[in-house]
Amino acid sequence: MSAATSSAVSLPVSIRGLSKTYRVGFFLNKQVKALQGLDLEIAPGQVYGLLGPNGAGKSTTIKILMGLVRASEGQALLFGESPDRPHVRRQVGFLPENPSLYEYLTGREFVTLAGRIFGMSGHDLDQRVERVLGEVGMGRASDLQIRRYSKGMVQRTALAQALISGPRLLVLDEPTSGLDPLGRRQMRDIILAERAKGTTILFCTHIISDVESLCDRVVVLVGGKRVQEGSVQELVSAKAPSVEMVVHGLPLEQLQSLGFAYEHAQQLDSRVLLRVPDAASHGLLQAVITKGGRVSRVQPARFSLEDLFLDAMKQAGGQTVGGEIQ
Amino acid sequence: MGAFAAMAWNGFREARRNRVTVLVAAFALLLLFATTLVTEVTVSTFDRVVTDFGLGVMSLLLVFLAIYLSSGLISREIERRTIFLMVSKPLSRSRFLLARLAGNMLTLGVLLVAMTLLFWVELVLHRAPITQPQMAALWGLYLELFVLTSAGFLLSTFASQLVSALVTTGLYFAGHLCADIYNLGVKSKVELVQWVSKATYYALPNLERLNFRPRATYALEVTAAELGSATLYALGWGALFCVLAALVFERRDFR
Repeated sequence: MSAATSSAVSLPVSIRGLSKTYRVGFFLNKQVKALQGLDLEIAPGQVYGLLGPNGAGKSTTIKILMGLVRASEGQALLFGESPDRPHVRRQVGFLPENPSLYEYLTGREFVTLAGRIFGMSGHDLDQRVERVLGEVGMGRASDLQIRRYSKGMVQRTALAQALISGPRLLVLDEPTSGLDPLGRRQMRDIILAERAKGTTILFCTHIISDVESLCDRVVVLVGGKRVQEGSVQELVSAKAPSVEMVVHGLPLEQLQSLGFAYEHAQQLDSRVLLRVPDAASHGLLQAVITKGGRVSRVQPARFSLEDLFLDAMKQAGGQTVGGEIQ
Repeated sequence: MGAFAAMAWNGFREARRNRVTVLVAAFALLLLFATTLVTEVTVSTFDRVVTDFGLGVMSLLLVFLAIYLSSGLISREIERRTIFLMVSKPLSRSRFLLARLAGNMLTLGVLLVAMTLLFWVELVLHRAPITQPQMAALWGLYLELFVLTSAGFLLSTFASQLVSALVTTGLYFAGHLCADIYNLGVKSKVELVQWVSKATYYALPNLERLNFRPRATYALEVTAAELGSATLYALGWGALFCVLAALVFERRDFR
């Protein structure tokens, strides 16, 4: 076993130089680079967020990890082994984006089928099915055929089948899509409960508030490439702090002529909202008072993950949808 | 119940919930209608006509069902994306494919048994004999269904349901006619025709080798060697289609 592989043994997810190129077009003569040399490691017990706009490569990464798509280059390992090995997938629960279930089955039958595929049987399986259906709030509707379910009920049932085996790694692709506010809250609670049990969780979303409230670490993908990676705290605090000020008695044009590099400047009725780097805030405050203006509010501007996400997209040249087409 | 058995049983359950059992009712009605008609128009060939008609209708309905089920099973899973939740489970792609095939064969087997029971009831009621060639014809029909189902499965791993169904239907007709195509080549003086007819004969399963229905009609006994040879022939073609299907399926991306 190589040193790289042995170090990856204990890691639930280890990705090295992962690339995926899809061939598209009638004659398969065009290539779309969905992923380009992605490196990623997820430690046990972490909640890891894959963040990025549509077509950033989030779902492709997850599909390679789940053995649904073959990598063009590089390596993706689950617990140090190829995801193609069925025994490795025994430790993983997977909820795909917009899950599609066998509509002729009831929710209970589908979750039971999933349990049987994981090798469970008998009374243990029945009990486990009952428990996970209750956890996702599908206890009462579980004996209806899935074709009668709403989108949110399908999502909950799909989550139940992902939890059925008590996985060590939970892979969730857009877990809160299609859920009402209560459903989103329950989904977040389930993710937090799984984290408390020590389950490693990889999930991708473009709902940034979910990432901020749930994730230990985040990677931002744009156009199939990694543009940011780190803990949420690191990423947010790495950005130089700014200060927001509300100024009265001076017009926007006069404030702009003072020569400060504003990050944001906006006239609001008789007030002007300004955002400047923290280092420039003291000078600006003095200049405003000298010119006869009045400052009604000074507060640190909170840099959010959303700002980071938008910055990352700007850095990547504003590419928002799809991989690189050749 | 293991993963393989669970998936196979689920295939049977899917067919049952999609009301394929209605075919058995259709068969019963057709058989009843035919018997009434046959008793009116035949003098001494009742056994022969009822056997021919019963086995013929059974074959037609089950072949239609085999083509419909096999051509859509994998392609529909891919189109509807139910495949995402199955292929990501601890079950290899080949085992998943074979389990789905087993589910189909279980469905067809159960329907064949149900239709056979109805057919026998009909024969017993009219004091017609249940013969060994009839049993051989039923086994031959099941083998034919296996070959067609495997072919449909192979096609459905990379083509749409419509294309799979059309090609499998073509294979059914060509498979029954390939001996004639071969003979046409033998009699032809054009080398290209000879070559094409031979190639067609060897490239397609000869489904007439599995067809003992004419023998059942005329109550001509089928030997164990003939049955064994037909079984091996069908298993060989089925295995070839399954291996090819597994090879294609293993390499596919599910986007």
